Amino acid sequence: MQQGDAPLTPRQWLQRLAKPQRRLTSLAVAAGLVVGLATIGQMVLLAWWISGVLVDGASVAELAWVAGALIGVLLLRAVAQWLQEVAGQEASLRIRQAARHELLAHIEALGPMRLSGRHSAALGSQLVEQVEALDGYFARFLPQLRLAVAIPALIAVLVMWLDWLAAIFLLLAAPMIPLFMALVGIGAERLNRRQFAAVSRLSGHFLDRVRGIATLQLFNRAEQATEDVHAAADEYRRLSMRTLRLAFLSSAVLEFFAAVAIAVLAIYIGFGLLGYIDYDPSPQLTLFSGLLILLLAPEFFQPLRTLSQHYHDRAAALGAADALVALLNTPLPKADAGRQVAGRDAGVSLNHVSVSFPGRGRVLGPLDLAVEPGECVVLVGPSGAGKSTLLQLIAGFVDSDTGRVAVPAGEVAWMDQRPLLIHGSLADNLRLVAPEASNTAIQGALEGAGLGELIAALPAGIDTSLGERGAGLSGGQAQRLALARVFLSPASLVLLDEPTASVDDETEAVVISALQALSEEGRTLILATHHPALMAMADRKVRLVNGTHVDEVGP
Amino acid sequence: MSHLATLYRELRPWLRLLGRRRGRLALGALLMAITAFAGIGLLALSGWFITATALTGMLLAAGIAASLDVYVPGGGIRFFAVTRTVARYLERLYNHDTVLRLLADLRGGMFRVLVRLDGQALAQRRASEWLNRLTADIDTLDSLYLRLLAPPLVALLAILGLTLLIGVFLPLAGLVAGGMLLLLWALLTLGQARLGMLASQRRVIELDRLRSRSIEHVQGLAELSAYGSLATHRDAVAQYEQRLYADQRRLGRLAALGNALVGLGIGITLLAVLWLASLAYASGTLNGPLMVMMPLAVLALAETLALLPNAFTQLGATRAAARRLNALGAAQGAIREAERPATLAPSTPTLAFDAVSLHYPGALTPALDRVSLSLAAGQRMALLGASGAGKSSLAQLATRLVDPQAGQVTLDANTLPTLSVRTVRNCVGLLSQQSELFDDSLAANLRLGAPAAGDGQLWKVLAMVELDAWAQQAQGLATRVGEGGRQLSGGQARRLCLARLLLAEPRIVMLDEPFAGLDAALAERIATRLNDWLAGRSLLLLCHQREGQPLAALGVGDWTQLAEGRVVAAGSA
Repeated sequence: MQQGDAPLTPRQWLQRLAKPQRRLTSLAVAAGLVVGLATIGQMVLLAWWISGVLVDGASVAELAWVAGALIGVLLLRAVAQWLQEVAGQEASLRIRQAARHELLAHIEALGPMRLSGRHSAALGSQLVEQVEALDGYFARFLPQLRLAVAIPALIAVLVMWLDWLAAIFLLLAAPMIPLFMALVGIGAERLNRRQFAAVSRLSGHFLDRVRGIATLQLFNRAEQATEDVHAAADEYRRLSMRTLRLAFLSSAVLEFFAAVAIAVLAIYIGFGLLGYIDYDPSPQLTLFSGLLILLLAPEFFQPLRTLSQHYHDRAAALGAADALVALLNTPLPKADAGRQVAGRDAGVSLNHVSVSFPGRGRVLGPLDLAVEPGECVVLVGPSGAGKSTLLQLIAGFVDSDTGRVAVPAGEVAWMDQRPLLIHGSLADNLRLVAPEASNTAIQGALEGAGLGELIAALPAGIDTSLGERGAGLSGGQAQRLALARVFLSPASLVLLDEPTASVDDETEAVVISALQALSEEGRTLILATHHPALMAMADRKVRLVNGTHVDEVGP
Repeated sequence: MSHLATLYRELRPWLRLLGRRRGRLALGALLMAITAFAGIGLLALSGWFITATALTGMLLAAGIAASLDVYVPGGGIRFFAVTRTVARYLERLYNHDTVLRLLADLRGGMFRVLVRLDGQALAQRRASEWLNRLTADIDTLDSLYLRLLAPPLVALLAILGLTLLIGVFLPLAGLVAGGMLLLLWALLTLGQARLGMLASQRRVIELDRLRSRSIEHVQGLAELSAYGSLATHRDAVAQYEQRLYADQRRLGRLAALGNALVGLGIGITLLAVLWLASLAYASGTLNGPLMVMMPLAVLALAETLALLPNAFTQLGATRAAARRLNALGAAQGAIREAERPATLAPSTPTLAFDAVSLHYPGALTPALDRVSLSLAAGQRMALLGASGAGKSSLAQLATRLVDPQAGQVTLDANTLPTLSVRTVRNCVGLLSQQSELFDDSLAANLRLGAPAAGDGQLWKVLAMVELDAWAQQAQGLATRVGEGGRQLSGGQARRLCLARLLLAEPRIVMLDEPFAGLDAALAERIATRLNDWLAGRSLLLLCHQREGQPLAALGVGDWTQLAEGRVVAAGSA
């Protein structure tokens, strides 16, 4: 995606994500402005009423229209506030969806081999947790960032018109606002970073102990470990309180200015109304203007306080973006010019291919290999000789640096030592490779893989659910399920990487006879194995040493 | 009401846990209340003051002699301003400290529950996602106080205070304000909680499902792309995402509704109070400054109520977390301790399995099916079988990590449940298949086996597994092993676990693939040393096949073959 360009930075990525939803963000900002205006309107009406009653001696009946207008403004404010939140949330939902989509597409384009340096469970969690961590930034922080400037400005202008000296009190705080922001920001960021490190250390300690519970039990150390867990959490508390003491100070400063500004304004207005102050605007103060200024003062600071509350959203999003951008910056392979797709029933032909991995150098090739349609070829050789890489090259998970790869069109049946088992029924697991397969076909495939007896004994048959990662299945059963997938798939090319490693003799026998059946169906089989029994069924054995083809042994 | 009773029952264990810190909780809530009252006081007194000065100013301007003490109210305003800031700072600091203390309590308490679970209950929970959820659940509960208990309580107190403040001067207005605000309070807490309950309960589960699907997608990339089913599975991931987001959308809108309601409710209460106060002023029963003070005091309450909608919309998430943790605590899997445990002779006992059966919940087939096996004192036997044949299950039975559903395990004449768990585990030592090490020093990991062991003993067992030279080159016994022993190679971790078991000196030794990842020569040397150490002890060696194991060096003569949970062959070499 970023091929050739300078690497993407987290900020750039966040900006790019925000762009398509700008309209929703703007809607949130516009609604927020309406909230601000309605709040001002509410305060004006309130001051008007009070001044009307106390100064002009108006009766409640005469002021009924003010009450009506106030209700109108309150309703408008409520609707606008709802809209602001909902629009922000909708933008965030869509952005997160797009971000996850982009990440998934990138992971798919990278393919299984280029990801092997990463822990797949961690990567899967990243796709969920870190994308969700972007929420607050888009839903709340971004709109509030603009409102925190616009609403105080609106209020300052109004107060200026009412009494410029009072506005000066507010605006004296204004140049300090960037300072507050920086203070709050630095505080929040530092807090976030330190806190994050400490939290992950603590979680690490807890998880480490939970993971090893069986060992603690075996050595009768459960009591002691429980005390350790408590002590570690308490130590974490002591550490983080040290950081928090400082971090909370920065927001306390903002609170302090807000509170003091109200106090100073109240006293200034009071003295002005008493006529103690002769300075230019003060004698013009009325109950209406004085009260309105007092009511608006907290609203002047409120958007800033809200922003500072959302500041950790920004830190969280930047942290998450940091990790996700690292994934997006993993370069994608160039379009593989050397790969050709022949007809569905073609064989496989490799012409002067070679594969190298960064840091490991060349692991395969240069190598030539031709496999006829319907042939069964076994790859043998010591571990590390490149057998798996060769299978991955044929499957298209890795690219050849040189030469040409020709494979049959359509899908490829793939089976390795750790089959993918999804959370769902046995049938769901099989339909993954053939969504249209009938129950009869599924039953047949399971029987072919030697699971017929087991299925017959299960009350729910092929609709029996498996837990996550195939919980409930033994290793041999999982391997047979993968085999049933091969049966169900119409792929003409079948690639198997050590299909019988770490299974019992019975499963091994099932696998062998199943592979024979597949071979008789006319499918092309290429498998890597150490097992003599599997080697015996091959039409041809290809021996690899150090990534190159050494010799061939006929049937 | 019955809903509330159920909710209370689910949260009760956690409330009780909070109750142990009652004093701190009360003080924290008090600081919150001081902050709230100072906020109300600041705005109410400021309004009173400005009105009083304005009215006095008007009299003075009209040439009527009037005076107003400006220093007491002025001082009051400054007092409230400073109090609010200071109280808020202290409150945040103090309450965060409390929450972190609660976190320590919760983690410790949860761990105490977990260590009582048996291997079967734990085995289902090995996956790292489960662990993540556990920590997330605990973290959710630690906010119970700060989000769900203190704010509504403080809001109630503030409403009560406000009712009194207004009621003293104008009882009717006080009652009206109190009534309306109480209704608003109920809507924001009970109402929001009720409307958001289902969706917020589902949210965590849906997030979990999305996570599992995403992990499947990444782990299964090879098969999915080979079989051409990437798009199908991606759709499945998208579907889970849709479901999660539908609930998030629902909850977000609901919270937004609550937030809008705060402004609306406060505004309408303010208007009602203003109306009544104006009527009272017109009739001469209330003076001007007090008339202004009342609506302004109502206005200041918004800040306290604003904390409620978000927290209560998500109440279901806290409830679901509590429910999951409760379920864990009540799990069937707890190993029962004998009430009056029998004692075991100090000599090596005979270990016997008598027709034991074990069926893990959710497994398609039983792990063990009426297995009988006996290991006499001093006997050394190899237990053979592919993975999943039932070897590890037998080892778990012998160490009482699980209890069988049928049959019994005995040490001499004692069935295991008649002995204390501690006795059983002191007698039978197990080197499990996974090398479980803790993120700590080499010494701390070894001393799990024997807490009182001196450094000399540690070096001795390290020498037996040939890790002494390596440890000397690293930081000696202080060498950190990393999370799960990640700083060590697989073979080193294996040997360290073996050394730890040697230190524990069990009478019956069960070794599950002890030499995995070790080269044959090293395995042979270690086996030779073990042979001497094993004198007087019994050994059960769990391995796939006899080939490649240093059986002769270990002095293992007999063997038993397991397959699919049954004994299929036995013999002696």
